[in-house]
Amino acid sequence: MKRLLLVLASAAALWSAACSSGGGTTVLPPPAGKFSNSSLNGTYAFVSNGEVATSGGTGVLARTGSFTADGSGGIMAGGVEDTVTQSGTGTLVNPDLTITGGGYSVGADGRGSLTLNISGLSPTTITFGIVLTSTGGGLLIDETFTNTQASTGSGNFFKQTTADFTNPVLPTVATYVFDFFGLDGTGAPASLVGEFTAGSGSVSAGFEDVNDNFTLTNGNIAAGGTLVADPAAPATLTSNGRGLATIAGEQYYFYVVDTTRIRFISISGGVMLTGDAVVQTNPPASLSNGFAFLVAGSSALGGLTRAGRFSANGTAVTNVLVDTNNNGSFVQTSGATQASVTMDPANPGRGTVTFLGNGLGTPFTFVFYLSSATSGVIQETTQANGLVAAVADGTIGGQTGNPFSSSNITGTYALNWTGLSLQSGVADEEDVVGQVTASNLALTGAADIFQFQNVNGPQTDNAVTGSILFNGGDGTGGDGKRSTMAVTLTKNGQATTVNFVVYFINPQLALFANTSTSSTRIVAGALELQP
Amino acid sequence: MLASALAFCLSAAAQQTASSSAQQLQSYDLRREVSLVGKVVKFDAASGVAPMGAHVLVQTGSGQVDVHLGNAKVLQSSHFELNPGDSVRIVGENLAFSGGTIFAARVVQKGNQAVIVRNEKGAPKIVGGTLSPEQTEALRGVR
Repeated sequence: MKRLLLVLASAAALWSAACSSGGGTTVLPPPAGKFSNSSLNGTYAFVSNGEVATSGGTGVLARTGSFTADGSGGIMAGGVEDTVTQSGTGTLVNPDLTITGGGYSVGADGRGSLTLNISGLSPTTITFGIVLTSTGGGLLIDETFTNTQASTGSGNFFKQTTADFTNPVLPTVATYVFDFFGLDGTGAPASLVGEFTAGSGSVSAGFEDVNDNFTLTNGNIAAGGTLVADPAAPATLTSNGRGLATIAGEQYYFYVVDTTRIRFISISGGVMLTGDAVVQTNPPASLSNGFAFLVAGSSALGGLTRAGRFSANGTAVTNVLVDTNNNGSFVQTSGATQASVTMDPANPGRGTVTFLGNGLGTPFTFVFYLSSATSGVIQETTQANGLVAAVADGTIGGQTGNPFSSSNITGTYALNWTGLSLQSGVADEEDVVGQVTASNLALTGAADIFQFQNVNGPQTDNAVTGSILFNGGDGTGGDGKRSTMAVTLTKNGQATTVNFVVYFINPQLALFANTSTSSTRIVAGALELQP
Repeated sequence: MLASALAFCLSAAAQQTASSSAQQLQSYDLRREVSLVGKVVKFDAASGVAPMGAHVLVQTGSGQVDVHLGNAKVLQSSHFELNPGDSVRIVGENLAFSGGTIFAARVVQKGNQAVIVRNEKGAPKIVGGTLSPEQTEALRGVR
């Protein structure tokens, strides 16, 4: 899942350094699959968003960095990481942290662990639970749990093309679609989606839609932006593709994955934003496809997820489904009137979609930027009585390969979800990473879960069982029949079942959000097919 | 039961559609804010009742009001405790939620201590409290 529920992440876990590391014993069958330590080989750019607790301070945490795996279980010296924490006191940027080594393991199912040794202050090691989606990358959760720091969060990693670590940055001019999400300098939720033209170390033009603390604005991104080597650590550009960006007056550290994807973490103005910019290729001038989407963020009541789909044909929009989890209140909307989609001729790939869900008095509105005919980013812009309803954004994808059924939803999938759950008397962050095999719509596999209030830290190697149910349809037909998914995590005889609505974008990718009508959990995530 | 003075004035005809819509779409509006004064009946850092987060049940002159306080950890980090019998003043407003309404607090005050749990646009705060220099230094060590 591209967009994480950063704003659902709360900051002040009462974690105790005195608590022992935990786990327990669960016997899982040996994983089957085609992965091994040699599958992780090369330099990878990673991100995660979550929260952190130290012996003294607590805060929200974003990290972006680059590590090099040697293909045989070792992490080589020479990586780099930047972290940004936001607490009640303000925002702290810890730049250019040197990765001095580490290790990793990858099982046959692609699951494993990754440790990075960081120079400087404690802790010297941060730990992730990982699952590979291919040799080109994977999903991760932060599982750091030492006597000086506990941190959690969800993210992912992409293999970098080191030949693209050029100076000037991005030698060929191209348009990039971006989605930056996080907190503004006051700790309020913020979402920026848009597109800019970049090349030869410059950002020359662009357009963006901003939702900063429930206030919508949009407009041109002024020319004059830059993508250059970080003057404080210029060598990291050639070693890890890392540099310093200035875009629309904000500063970021960036990491080049390759010429098609750049990762960003903001470092100026107390702002805490992270996200990717993805090259735009042949954006459609009009739409004639089904699209599934998932946005996550904050409403006035707390965490918010909205998953759904619609069919677009020219300006017409039909077959609308929306599933909203507004901090524990789950509402499904089937069908809509006053529905239309409009593409912006001045900004290729940018469009707006609106529909009045049946039974509602206020239409949903969204703005999206497509990086291709079938993928992009989306931001909610719904207003009620002139007031913005949410700060939320996420992923939109053109649905292909449907109808979805047991015949094409099969194989092994990487799994990740993130959000909040009820833990030890407070709501706190929950992150899950794992792998499941889908066979006849039954799910089996294994996963790690880190509920941040758990005094024993992350719980690794839970057994996973579950199922996908198409309910007589596959959710694309506008018949109101959603696809659902149930996932049960079991460890040491204790089982937790989470129910989801799931929207397949294609047989390789699905987005899901939980359907709880209680206040026990609000999470969302993704399934990604492994090769 | 919500105090009648805090209730929204929705017409009967608009009630059903507005309620359904509002629970998905309603925003916080400073112009609707009211002040609620009463005594704490019960405090739950994580109530089993939605919306997720801390709830306090307050006895007012007009009845008991279920107040959503947002993230309990914001209260904890501010060393703010609520116990039965405490006199409190809460600034906030009613928001439609799950077929009914919930009083969403922006500021909760007990004695001389007040904690902001939502900003003026209604976003529940996710970080709170003021850190000591030592705590800030500990965060500077985050890796």
